[in-house]
Amino acid sequence: MKKRNFKKSVMLLTIVMIMTLLAGCVGGNKSTAPDAGQAAKEPATKASNEVNIYTARHYDVDAELYAKFTEQTGIKVNVIEGKAPELIERLKREGASTPADLFITVDGGILNTAKTADLLQPIQSAAIDAQVPADMRDKDSHWVGLSTRARVIVYAKDRVNPSQLSTYEDLATDKWKGKLLVRSSTNLYNQSLLASLISLNGEAEAEKWAAGIAANLARDPEGGDRDQAKAVVAGTGDVAIMNTYYVGRMTVSDDPEEVKVAEKIGVFFPNQQTTGTHLNISGAGLVKHSKNKENALKLIEFLTAKEAQTAVSKANFEFPVNKEAEMPELLKSWGTFKHQGLDFAVYGELNPKAAEIANKVGWK
Amino acid sequence: MNKRRLFINLKKRMNVWTIVSLTGAAVILLPILYVLSGLIRPANDNWETVKQFLLTDYVIGSLKLVLFTGFFATSIGVVLAWLVVGYTFPLRKWFTWALMLPLAVPPYIAAYTYATMTSYTGFIQATLRNQFDIHISPGTIEIMSTRGAVFILTLFLFPYVFMIAKMFLERQSAVYIENARLLGHKRLSLFFNVVLPISRPAIIAGLMLVVFEVLSDYGVANYFGVQTLSTAIFQTWFSMYDVDSAMKLAAWLMVVIIGIFVLERYLRRNQQYNTSMKQNKPLAPKPLKGAAAFGATAFCMVVFLLSFVIPVVQLIVWATWTYEKMWTADLIELTLNSLSGAAIATFVILIFALLSTRTVRTMSSWPAYLLTKLMTVGYAVPGAIIAIGVLAVCIQFDKWLSPIYASVGIGEGMLWLSTSLFMLLAGYVIRFMATGYNAIETGYDKIPRTYSEAARTLGHGSASTFFKIELPLLRGSIVTGFILTFVEIVKELPITMLLRPFNFDTLAARTYQFAIDERIYEAALPSLLLIGISFISVLCILKIEKEKTR
Repeated sequence: MKKRNFKKSVMLLTIVMIMTLLAGCVGGNKSTAPDAGQAAKEPATKASNEVNIYTARHYDVDAELYAKFTEQTGIKVNVIEGKAPELIERLKREGASTPADLFITVDGGILNTAKTADLLQPIQSAAIDAQVPADMRDKDSHWVGLSTRARVIVYAKDRVNPSQLSTYEDLATDKWKGKLLVRSSTNLYNQSLLASLISLNGEAEAEKWAAGIAANLARDPEGGDRDQAKAVVAGTGDVAIMNTYYVGRMTVSDDPEEVKVAEKIGVFFPNQQTTGTHLNISGAGLVKHSKNKENALKLIEFLTAKEAQTAVSKANFEFPVNKEAEMPELLKSWGTFKHQGLDFAVYGELNPKAAEIANKVGWK
Repeated sequence: MNKRRLFINLKKRMNVWTIVSLTGAAVILLPILYVLSGLIRPANDNWETVKQFLLTDYVIGSLKLVLFTGFFATSIGVVLAWLVVGYTFPLRKWFTWALMLPLAVPPYIAAYTYATMTSYTGFIQATLRNQFDIHISPGTIEIMSTRGAVFILTLFLFPYVFMIAKMFLERQSAVYIENARLLGHKRLSLFFNVVLPISRPAIIAGLMLVVFEVLSDYGVANYFGVQTLSTAIFQTWFSMYDVDSAMKLAAWLMVVIIGIFVLERYLRRNQQYNTSMKQNKPLAPKPLKGAAAFGATAFCMVVFLLSFVIPVVQLIVWATWTYEKMWTADLIELTLNSLSGAAIATFVILIFALLSTRTVRTMSSWPAYLLTKLMTVGYAVPGAIIAIGVLAVCIQFDKWLSPIYASVGIGEGMLWLSTSLFMLLAGYVIRFMATGYNAIETGYDKIPRTYSEAARTLGHGSASTFFKIELPLLRGSIVTGFILTFVEIVKELPITMLLRPFNFDTLAARTYQFAIDERIYEAALPSLLLIGISFISVLCILKIEKEKTR
């Protein structure tokens, strides 16, 4: 009899223990991340003064801008950062219950993927339309561009005369055998570039081009965009394909060696006489099941206004989408250039094809 | 009649402990089973593509990485362990603990540190170029390759083998080795004929940890562009947006892991005879002299420099470049987030580990064994895949609990579990159950079953036996398990990235964001804080061990 009582009390004790444990977890949530708890609850209870962002864009300047936005409007900005595909998967699974209001990412193809996955809704705001030209917005207004970058050719100033350079297509000819540097084709920047060339030149030509690129490589693709520039200066190859903002960032690097590298390379905007230089975009999409739509729109308006656009361009060396914004000296020195002018959705639509071609021709 | 006996049998075994641990197991298992269910879900076209074009390469890539890293990490770990246990040489005492420190450096941080250091603008080439006008021809130092990945993973994972082998040799080997020495075995013959064979179980245990770490590694392989099963999972997910196929791959990886578990169990089937409660007298090390002593010190020093001093000093230099810009108030918040998240999850893991090891001990049947192995399988699965399992289960629970949410004022149709810290903690628990579990299991293995049985015979209940007999004996194992698990969680990356609630940033996440954005110098300061926390934890383990051996 006594034993049974003991057992009962142990059972009770265990249950209590587990309850406290669970409470501990939840309680821990409150004590360690008070913002998180609020973020989860508030949207439902009142028309809140918050906006929730899922972002795959990790700029320091973003955090500063959000702080400024909160200061101006009193609207609190809550952020979950992650990789775009992870965030898209999370949005899909959360469905109508999602706490997210805005989805911010880099690459037009990804923005289009989010759109076609039925995760976004039209952004209707005269202010935004006035600030962002139509070709920098989704044609159904599901997302709005925030900044752009060009994928250009950089060359060793001491070995290459810019007059030798002309187009992306030219880089795939025998002229550059063993002299070309570019990162892996598994990288989205290259997939989007290839997708744009499929769209402009057709699949067969694009495949020939990719094969030529793979054949001309000075080494197996490794590292990121900066590593290609370094390899040009190191003498591994003579020319490289990379994004413009990396050049800018290297000019202000904390490492004097990187600054030296940036000084030794020239930037060339290809295809000016033909189809234009490849441009990609970072943008914000309005989540379909957004609970704080008004606030989300206000934030996009803020991010596309002159002040924020100037700040992003200055900090990150990207081209602003707002024509009134000011660019840093380096970007001004490059002058205006002709870009491909494609619908960014193409990058997403042709991405599987691009990946397939790259695999087929052996561009690692 | 038969049925009735079965029932009685079942009832006998179903005490409170069993029920509680089975419930715990179920909670942990749900996300894992969700991923495993990928095996039976119908395949789509992408899966065919993956199977046809990618799978062979990726399996080969993983195999290469596992075999080479396993071999080198084990060799270095065992040789170093034997050196510091079997001999005396200058700085030996210091190396016995210093060689554990590489555990404090997350391999992905080491990877980008080494890659940048050896690059054209890195310290090595820049110094040669600017000071001595020596230009290294491009491609001489190729760290971004399979070889480089093996190099990094070996340097930062060998301490697992070193730690376990050293503990074993210190405590269990004296009799064998002293007899062998008497019989005239020296140096090489002693090492190959005695040390290696007797420490086999310890070596295998360490090797297992290394193998699982390599299989689940994403950071290093991805940064170096090495194709492995783990990177294949992400490529399927990120470039094809096909989570189902990615989970199918992950499920197969889990099957492989469970296979390795079973193999290990098979290899260790006789090990029970080796462990004894009796404290063996420690081995008296032989002094090394002259060239041999110098060689031993030099070898230990080279390994220590490469696996700790060089990357840490490099990070410190970079941190001084970016200090002003990076030293913001939120670094403290990040540190606190890292610490508290890891501490809570570790606590939960240890409770579960205690419950389940005890269940296995009392039941000792194969279903119980399989159950616990399933619970610990998360250790070898890439974090992001676990994260998907946890996300799926939490959102499902949120949907079921919706009416309750409505009644307590959270709001109907809201996601509560899956927007709270709970989800992240659940991810940690599932991923790192193994570290806590193994520590407790080892502790339990050392307590003779007769102790508990005697207590029960003398009228103590199950609980009373636990609290009065087992818990005090387990104290050391619990603390070691706590710290080991804690260090792992502090370093964890993909689960944190995917499952954290709004505005919850950790040191690991911040570090990684800078690193993938090719901003290595900015990543240095959070990296150092992270290494600092791990460093202190490793020192704690060492201190506890010291007290134990005393």
